[in-house]
Amino acid sequence: MRHLAVALLVLAALVLPRQLVAHEATLGVLEFREVRPGAFVGLWTMEPTIGAARVDLQVPPHCFLRLPELNCGDKGLIGPITITNLGANMSAVLIKVIPIVGEPRSYTISTANPVVSVLGTGAPTLQTWIELARTYVNYGIDHILLGADHLLFVLGLIWIVGGGWRLVKTITAFTIGHSASLAAAAFGLIGVPERPLNACIALSIVFVGVEIVKQQRGEIGLTARYPWAVAFTFGLVHGIGFASALAGLGLERRLLPIALLFFNIGVEIGQLAFVLLVLALMWAHRRLDAVLPRWGDALPAYAIGSVSMFWFFGRLLRVLAAT
Amino acid sequence: MSLRIFRYLPFAIAGLVLPQAAFAHEQVGLGGGLVSGFLHPLTGIDHLIAMVAVGIWGAQLGAPAIWVLPITFPLVMAIGGVLGILHVPLPMPEVMIALSALILGAAVAVRMRLPFAAAAAVVAVFAIFHGYAHGAELPKSANPLAYGVGFVVSTGLLHLCGITIGTLTRWPAGERLIQGLGVVIAMLGGYFLALSLGAVA
Amino acid sequence: MNIRLGRGLIAAAVLLAQASPAEAHIVAARLGDFYAGALHPLTDLQDVILWGAMGVLGGTLGAARGRWLVLVFPLGLLAGLALGQDFEITLTGSTVDAGMVLVLGLLLATAVRIPTVALCALAFALAVIRGMANATDLGPETDRLLFAAGLACSGYAVITLVMALVLAFRGADTSVPTSWRKITLQALGGWIAAIGLMMVGYSLAS
Repeated sequence: MRHLAVALLVLAALVLPRQLVAHEATLGVLEFREVRPGAFVGLWTMEPTIGAARVDLQVPPHCFLRLPELNCGDKGLIGPITITNLGANMSAVLIKVIPIVGEPRSYTISTANPVVSVLGTGAPTLQTWIELARTYVNYGIDHILLGADHLLFVLGLIWIVGGGWRLVKTITAFTIGHSASLAAAAFGLIGVPERPLNACIALSIVFVGVEIVKQQRGEIGLTARYPWAVAFTFGLVHGIGFASALAGLGLERRLLPIALLFFNIGVEIGQLAFVLLVLALMWAHRRLDAVLPRWGDALPAYAIGSVSMFWFFGRLLRVLAAT
Repeated sequence: MSLRIFRYLPFAIAGLVLPQAAFAHEQVGLGGGLVSGFLHPLTGIDHLIAMVAVGIWGAQLGAPAIWVLPITFPLVMAIGGVLGILHVPLPMPEVMIALSALILGAAVAVRMRLPFAAAAAVVAVFAIFHGYAHGAELPKSANPLAYGVGFVVSTGLLHLCGITIGTLTRWPAGERLIQGLGVVIAMLGGYFLALSLGAVA
Repeated sequence: MNIRLGRGLIAAAVLLAQASPAEAHIVAARLGDFYAGALHPLTDLQDVILWGAMGVLGGTLGAARGRWLVLVFPLGLLAGLALGQDFEITLTGSTVDAGMVLVLGLLLATAVRIPTVALCALAFALAVIRGMANATDLGPETDRLLFAAGLACSGYAVITLVMALVLAFRGADTSVPTSWRKITLQALGGWIAAIGLMMVGYSLAS
């Protein structure tokens, strides 16, 4: 239980808040509206942090691009679109194409997937599905790996529940919880404003930290007794958080379910990798008998608690500032 | 604890402060280096059979040879490797390698029971020549470190193959089989020897 | 079993060889500098060999001595990174690296029971040197704190896992002097020392 080194947590405490900030500002959205057949007007509806002028956008060779103008002639906008200089300050760009006839489409260009093929107005082909799968599985993995708050919550759960069958059940409950609310939020069944939600997520980690301290004092807390219930409930909260990442992408509605599925698969892959790493490290610490000295027992719990409390106040301030 | 470490730190650093040319180690061709290093001992039949014969002979001799061999052989071979890298001229390396296959194969075939020190000396001399041949190739590699790793690992595995085959000596039938294998290795060695001496066109 | 272990090592080596520092930079663009710092050393063969050998050495010396490395090693990496970055001290050179590989390999092969303090000093020195080496790859746009944290976490995880795996492999019983598990580890040391020796020769020659 208490086998993870303090060093890791102190480091995490220093680092994680910055990471989240970095994560929020890496997206750009570029919209192409067709004004006459083959001719588009392009506008940045959300500028990337490095500035729109510095994005090196490459369009299909038969097209001519000088923003805001994009002219593709009779063939129309079909072919590869690439951004060559996606870097540390810009992880993804969403391109929306709004044709005169037919539904608007969205394409995501990310470092994992720097080229997208614009498919014209036809029905989605196998290629579309593969591309979609690749994009969104990667996006899901990235999202969970960069979502330090989610990972910290999972770490807290592992800490309280320990390994074994109970952990499998707890993590499954968390997964079911966040998948359900992610789907509900993505389809617009529930809508929760983002800022209070983020504060709630931070608070859920504070709760887990408190539960760890309780457990160490010998009290049997709610999480120790019904870990799956706690995991499910907070899973619902965290899932809505995941959905906010998808919402910014303005996906086509008919592609939404499948994108959601792949995104969720990516999230689970990332989460599973994290859980396995933590379990392996816990096993290693038991093997090495490298446990914290008595006085350091409560340190990890307080580290988790402090970090999440810091987030909570930070996010609460943002909620208050907005109202 | 950590205070004590800090007391030792200056010494540790001082010991390591040596004038160093900045050496940007290119990682280009890492996979290629590994693979070419790994394959180098496997592609030369004379090398391959000699290495396997070393393993078998070690197993035949039993303790302590069977466990001293895998620990020290790579090191001795590395000494040869360094000689090869430095292009220190050794007399007729090709002949010596073929000769090693011939002699080691013969030793396996007749179950030669040399004293441990004598056996170790024989193997060590051959190890230097084998390492020499591999080492001469190392600087040509795109990634010398990866090449070195590959070649040490594959040589070690050839030994292990030999030792595993050598454990067959526990059974009488296996013993015969191994002696037969020794004969084959010795004959191949003889062929390569003749080849390197120019007797066979 | 020996062969299986060897095969595993090759598989791991080949797998790692597929990744290159270039990919570490892609990771940096995708997942930020924390993951770049964590994955950078894992794509560098020198780091992989040295870290792995250090972990194996710590593991063979037993839990009582090895466990200190869990803290010492990442701290050394941080110290090295700071030294390399802020004071631009570079001790990194192929000869130092190769010499380190040789020393670690010989210590493993001879199965010397080195005292805890010496082990910690060795690990710290190694970590400082590798920290410096990783500092040379920091770009001007890299977030240093995140990179350092990633590097330290990765060092902590690798050293802890390798030591624990070696301990599990070696088993608690060390009374038998020539158990095949102990010899396997010594043979591994012989291999590592051989690699180190050749690289020393190579770096002196070039």
